[in-house]
Amino acid sequence: MKSRILKPLSLLLLLVVLFTMAFGCGDKTDVTPDPGIPAPTENEGNQSSTKGPQTAKKLTIGIYNKATNVTTYGVGNSWNDWLLWLVFDKLREPSPYVLEGENWLAEYVKPISDNGQTWEIKIKEGITWHDGSPLTAEDVAFTFHYYREGPVNRWTHHCSQVPRLPEEGIKVIDDLTLQVTSAKPMPNFDRVTAADLAIIQKKQWENVEEPLKFMDLPIGTGPYKLVDYKADEYYKFVANENYFQGKPLVDELDLIMIKDPSVMFTALKSGEIDGAARHLSPELLSEWAQDPNIKVMESPSLWGVWAELNLAREPFISKQFRPALSYAINRDEFVDTIMLGEAKTGDGAWPHPDSFWTKEGLAQPYDPEKSMQLLGEMGYIDIDGDGYRENPAGEQIDWVIKVASNQPLYVRAGEIIVKQMAEVGLRFHVETIDPGAYSLLYSKPEFDMKIGDITPHGIADQDMLIILYRGDYGREMRHDPEKEEVVSRWYDAQSVEERLEISYELQELMNKYPHRMILWYPKGLWAYRWEVYDNYQVSPGYGIFHKWSFLPNEVREDTVVETE
Amino acid sequence: MVFSRRVMQYIWVIVLALIINFALPRIAPGDPAIYLVGEDITSMTEAERDQVLHEYKLDLPVYKQFANYITGIFRGDMGISLIYGRPVWDVVLHRLPWTLLIMLCSLFLSASIGVIIGVITSLKGGGKQDIGALVIVMLLGSLPPFWVAMLLIVLFSATLGWLPSFGAFALGTTPGSSDYFIGVLQRMIMPVLALTLAHVGSSYLISRSAMINALSEDYVMLCYSKGVSEMGIVIKHAFRNALLPIYTHLMLALGAIVSGATVIETVFSYPGIGNTIYESVVARDYSLLQGCFLIVTISIVLANLVTDLVYPLLDPRVRRPGGVE
Repeated sequence: MKSRILKPLSLLLLLVVLFTMAFGCGDKTDVTPDPGIPAPTENEGNQSSTKGPQTAKKLTIGIYNKATNVTTYGVGNSWNDWLLWLVFDKLREPSPYVLEGENWLAEYVKPISDNGQTWEIKIKEGITWHDGSPLTAEDVAFTFHYYREGPVNRWTHHCSQVPRLPEEGIKVIDDLTLQVTSAKPMPNFDRVTAADLAIIQKKQWENVEEPLKFMDLPIGTGPYKLVDYKADEYYKFVANENYFQGKPLVDELDLIMIKDPSVMFTALKSGEIDGAARHLSPELLSEWAQDPNIKVMESPSLWGVWAELNLAREPFISKQFRPALSYAINRDEFVDTIMLGEAKTGDGAWPHPDSFWTKEGLAQPYDPEKSMQLLGEMGYIDIDGDGYRENPAGEQIDWVIKVASNQPLYVRAGEIIVKQMAEVGLRFHVETIDPGAYSLLYSKPEFDMKIGDITPHGIADQDMLIILYRGDYGREMRHDPEKEEVVSRWYDAQSVEERLEISYELQELMNKYPHRMILWYPKGLWAYRWEVYDNYQVSPGYGIFHKWSFLPNEVREDTVVETE
Repeated sequence: MVFSRRVMQYIWVIVLALIINFALPRIAPGDPAIYLVGEDITSMTEAERDQVLHEYKLDLPVYKQFANYITGIFRGDMGISLIYGRPVWDVVLHRLPWTLLIMLCSLFLSASIGVIIGVITSLKGGGKQDIGALVIVMLLGSLPPFWVAMLLIVLFSATLGWLPSFGAFALGTTPGSSDYFIGVLQRMIMPVLALTLAHVGSSYLISRSAMINALSEDYVMLCYSKGVSEMGIVIKHAFRNALLPIYTHLMLALGAIVSGATVIETVFSYPGIGNTIYESVVARDYSLLQGCFLIVTISIVLANLVTDLVYPLLDPRVRRPGGVE
């Protein structure tokens, strides 16, 4: 009897071991991806030259980042704000991340004063909400009001700070026209504000006092209607057949929340989902490129991974000290070791080098000799001969790099920084903390250095460059009147060109005295099943999963980048 | 008297657990506003941050939040979840059945398999086959559940394409339809299998140990000397006496049934309570955490209470005055 039991058990154990060897360890011969893929492009897989269907009845796409309802209060980050743009439209599209978008809901958005403070907006005639009612200037005015003085959300500071729209500055002229006047010039109004704010329906929102708890199906003007959802589980969209830019090419979209990356890509491989709306990790690239059912597209991601210094602590507040640390960091090592070549080196500084707001030629170079020279000049010398420098007071140094425990790549980056700093004689150590505790570091800066990422919203939007300074005020600006003076001039600048010049000054200052040191800029690598739908295109900052990939080709022109 | 004293003890346990449920999430560093607003929190003023928290009454002093929490429990109002934007009870009641489904199935399977193998191998305790079975079952039970889950996904979803890898039901199917039922069955196979493998080891060990002890008792020797068949000795005498530790183990496992699948549910994106606890910890969703912990607390306390109440029925010694309580 026992042998009848033991034999199957032995067989099961053997199967587990064999199975682990077969599948669990991966294909080690293929882990080195082919570097240097020009962006945006498709992968080198078996099917890269074959074109699949240009329309589809239904697509199932995996998403992973938090969302409650599809409103400007339920979705508000760069990880999955493309859900929002399925339902809502902006005056101009696609986003603040492109140099010249196109008028979308707007017939025109133009300045009507020389100082750039007053703009006139006229919306296109005949656009309707999902409930059939017409879009009017009242809705647009209400949107500005609601974001400006209503409950705070991610768009609030784009109405209350940059630009600063006083209540009396928002005037409806007629059903389709309104004027907005800011307290300060807003030369970027058409490029940033108008290209960033989702226009919401006055009728649906005017009586909503607790928008975070608003769980009704949203009414937008966008190409898709949300028809069913369970927060954090799934979202079902159907095409808006009356969409003013033409009926979408995909009739139904099912977005499924799959938070584990391995499960999401396995689901893609097995055909349970048709696209994975998260970056493919570099170690998987070559393996996936060989899958005949999958295409991988590369896009400029406009993301960055940075090491941030705590300016509330000595000696990081010192402008002389910070460059010494920056010179000690060899950014190429992160790209080679962690990203397997699938990233840009972070010496292009901040903002993202692919952003059109960024001054050319800025760099934070690697020069350990220079670093050691600066440290020596500031009195950081190895007194006790242990290989590590003491501070000018003769005290031992051991600074902490804090990293969120759910970010293994950043933990590895921290370890590399520890090694690189040791090479110039500075002692650091890595401390991992839970993600909730990590996120609190913004208000309780109990760290010396921390490693995190920055999204397109923060790194490729000129207004955010200034808005972030507002958040920095308590930490940095009060210590740096030089920057404060530049920001003040930026606010007063009346033309795009003038603002850009002043923005360049800020960028130079940030590179000269870096406190956020970009380590690498990841590439956007996106995988999808081409036999189901093969009409995706890249939009900067969004990759390939966004509403413009589902719109008729003739209306996409200025919202996407041509694929090679 | 003994019963009422027990009930009072459990009431105190629940009261204490309620206080800890409230305090623990708040002691942990973190800020719900960050979840609500996202990356832009870094550019907000304190006043704007408080405005965000106000909607969930998280800007109130802690003692007022505590008062709201306690009175809410009696009113059946555990607040609104930050993550789901719905009342906490709605979320919990939607997710609890999914957890119970996979946990009850896996508990039944792991207990059955563990007990059967434990009984069979105990008959010749210490022999080669007993040791072999011990090693194999313990090895399987020691495999990290998330790793087993990933292997199952790779095998059954990616390689063979037999089973879906995530979710609890097929999207688009109507509850009650055969498609829905099949979808649910397909999606529960891998989580149940992973959980069964994780739990079978402990059931096996308890059963084997209890049976070896029972088989070494004098009454077993007496049975043999009286010519009782081996099957009769094992089933009627040894196993009945070995039931107590097995029963205790099962009831403890039953108590942990609500919270026992956090990792597995997360790997399979299974919409259960374990997954919900994980998400609410990450988001610092205090209300939802409190609601989930309350359910977990109640399930554990209830399981213990039932265990205590049923024990005298299984063990007459407990019923005797001065017997084991």
